[in-house]
Amino acid sequence: MSDGLVKILDGNTFVVSDSRGDIEASLTDPTGLFSFDTRFLSEWVLTVNGERLNPLSTDDLEYFETRFFLVPGTGTVYVDSKLSVIRRRAVANGFNERLAILNHDEQAVDLTVRIDAACDFADLFEVKDALQKKGKYSTRIEDGTLVLAYERGTFARATEISASAPAQLDENGLTFQVRIEPHGEWMTDLDVVTAMLASGQTQNRLKAGGNRRRGRASMEENLSRWLADAPRLECDWDPLKATYRRSLVDLAALRFSPPIAGGRSLPAAGLPWFMTMFGRDSIFTSLQALPFTLELAATTLTALGNWQGTRVDDFRDEEPGRILHEMRYGELSAFEERPHSPYYGCADATALYVVLLDEYERWSGDTKLVRELELEARAALTWIDEYADLQGNGYVSYQRRNEETGLENQCWKDSWDSISYRDGRLPGFPRATCELQGYAYDAKIRGARLARTIWKDPAYADGLEQQAANLKRRFNRDFWLEDDQYFALALDENGGKVDALSSNNGHLLWSGIVDKSKAKAVVRHLMGPRLFSGWGVRTMAEGDGRYNPIGYHVGTVWPFDNSFIAWGLRNYGFTDEAAQIAAGILDAAEFFDGRLPEAFAGYERRLTKYPVQYPTACSPQAWSTGAPLLLLRTMLGLEPIGEHLVVDPALPVGIGRIELLDIPGRWGRVDAFGRGRVDVAGTPRRRPGGPRR
Amino acid sequence: MTDATTEFFEELDRRDHEPLLAKVSATARFELSHDGATDHWLVAVDRGNLTVSHHDGPADLMLRTERKLFDGMATGQVNAVAALLRGALVVEGDWELMVLIQRLFPGPPRARQEPTTTTTSKREKR
Repeated sequence: MSDGLVKILDGNTFVVSDSRGDIEASLTDPTGLFSFDTRFLSEWVLTVNGERLNPLSTDDLEYFETRFFLVPGTGTVYVDSKLSVIRRRAVANGFNERLAILNHDEQAVDLTVRIDAACDFADLFEVKDALQKKGKYSTRIEDGTLVLAYERGTFARATEISASAPAQLDENGLTFQVRIEPHGEWMTDLDVVTAMLASGQTQNRLKAGGNRRRGRASMEENLSRWLADAPRLECDWDPLKATYRRSLVDLAALRFSPPIAGGRSLPAAGLPWFMTMFGRDSIFTSLQALPFTLELAATTLTALGNWQGTRVDDFRDEEPGRILHEMRYGELSAFEERPHSPYYGCADATALYVVLLDEYERWSGDTKLVRELELEARAALTWIDEYADLQGNGYVSYQRRNEETGLENQCWKDSWDSISYRDGRLPGFPRATCELQGYAYDAKIRGARLARTIWKDPAYADGLEQQAANLKRRFNRDFWLEDDQYFALALDENGGKVDALSSNNGHLLWSGIVDKSKAKAVVRHLMGPRLFSGWGVRTMAEGDGRYNPIGYHVGTVWPFDNSFIAWGLRNYGFTDEAAQIAAGILDAAEFFDGRLPEAFAGYERRLTKYPVQYPTACSPQAWSTGAPLLLLRTMLGLEPIGEHLVVDPALPVGIGRIELLDIPGRWGRVDAFGRGRVDVAGTPRRRPGGPRR
Repeated sequence: MTDATTEFFEELDRRDHEPLLAKVSATARFELSHDGATDHWLVAVDRGNLTVSHHDGPADLMLRTERKLFDGMATGQVNAVAALLRGALVVEGDWELMVLIQRLFPGPPRARQEPTTTTTSKREKR
């Protein structure tokens, strides 16, 4: 890991430690054992005869398992030890650590092995914001188990620590008096179990579907099955194969079974802060992954449908029909100091929900689920008209109800300064960003298809289509900047155009709301020097007031953003441009060993030669993990038409041959083949045939 | 006796059909403790059709809490999910059903349902 920290996870339980396997967290330090948004261990330090250990190597076996090879003594360059210490740690309902000590000497040794353990039970939000705790801590020893506990009224969390070898337990940890014979070995299992207890109740743990209590063996089996179920990629360009495999493994790691999904999984947003259910992120990632797995989309649709808003609640920004933004399980949500139980302040997930439902059916043919979710889909479509049109002008806009802890910007660019005029001023609220109109348009078109073909309600379908046509006509008039030939980023509170040039134009192509006559001009901007960096399309154009190549949403390049732009370009027939974006982003992926970060700097490619990572807490991140998958789809031109999968490849020249085998869908399994033909010589390629690094 | 909890269940019984639970066929038992006693309410859902009784049999979902807290949930002053997260409401059984059942609780009283309009800003109507 670039930050020197070692991370392993299972569902929303994860461990972040140093390279020795030790945890020494402070309130603001992000190491520890975390589960359901709560830290369950903030100290976990191993000593042998009072000495800390020295790491020789760390071995990431799987995303849920790591092995640390250690020797006693620290800080010396030269290590000559007669002892080896191996910690093998796997996450499963807390974690299990198998601690082994090997004596390489010809003499027996007597050792005092000590684990110091403590916990601050911080809420993830507290770790991010450094807040103080309000409850009581306690420690007790019970049936050979050290129990660290935290209570605030009825809110109770506990960490239970036990060992298989004889140990002396005290309030600060475990001590083992060990004698190891010559060339002998000593071993113990350390079990750390996280418990969420209700007051006065026996153990009433929140169960995270099938992920909890899963043994190591079944997790390995689960991962191999996941990999075996995915289509196989054959190609001439090895880095693409590596990126593809990395994406599949990371996507497996980012699967999360919320307590309500009955063991089925959906993509969480990212590690470590966002291992939770997010409306927007789960939907975008499911869309990206559709050609490779249908399961994520089905679970996302069901879980988000179950949680769909049903009432007006200002604190949670909840409204009937609205799809949630974010669910959190920690103390601050429990005591309503944060609104995430769940929080609904998100203006795009509701329309995107209908988009995903339709796209899912086109791939899977699963009309049963579409019929089951008819109520939810109709409620989502109704929300667009009845609750999202805040200005009464027929456009989706947002303004938070929760003025204290709600989100200001409820579009995917959700940082405070992401929406601005060309001169850098920030508009007032409500704000109607352009891509929201595109998503609403697409939702109506797709909702109409489902209404006509599956719900058998042609009148409803007609109505939706009429609304969509109307929206498209008005949008192309009201958002279009005639002098500049692109779409404004948003309309402000007075209906005025927020005129910065942004990547949102690409999402408009994806949604289909752009008049054919305007597409060419839009593409010229997307691929022009102000937006296109050589790696990909910047979030905001160079030259705009707030442009900053390392600004979160005002100049960086987002792989996820680009994957949807590439899809949009293909939808409008700009296959060469789509191939160029795929080439740039996949080239960048190679620099990150196949794991694309959330965002990288918007510097000109010729300037830096390599993509400069934006410093972020989340890696891997779900929709960045999904980006190479969607780019494979756009390069191969995969499109389900009726019962068939149409393949229409447009590959960058240097990429050679691609075969994607066993693509699952309503057709069973089919293969797709493509060969690189699109010349993207404008960028320095590093693929076979192109110049090397 | 007309308290918030009784009114809530009686209203459910009168509601007869709840479209938000149209897909649900299951039973949920509420055990509400107060003054050393426990009241039992059983809500049976048959594809959205609601029947309320005091039966004390097994159910797909059991919810346990104090009657006082439930009064708050019945009137929208207490959020059921937050109460669950802090252990004030204890749930056993089908968690997915819990997410659906909590749709029955009203929103907080301060927020008004806002009628659809196409002429004025909804935000002005708050």
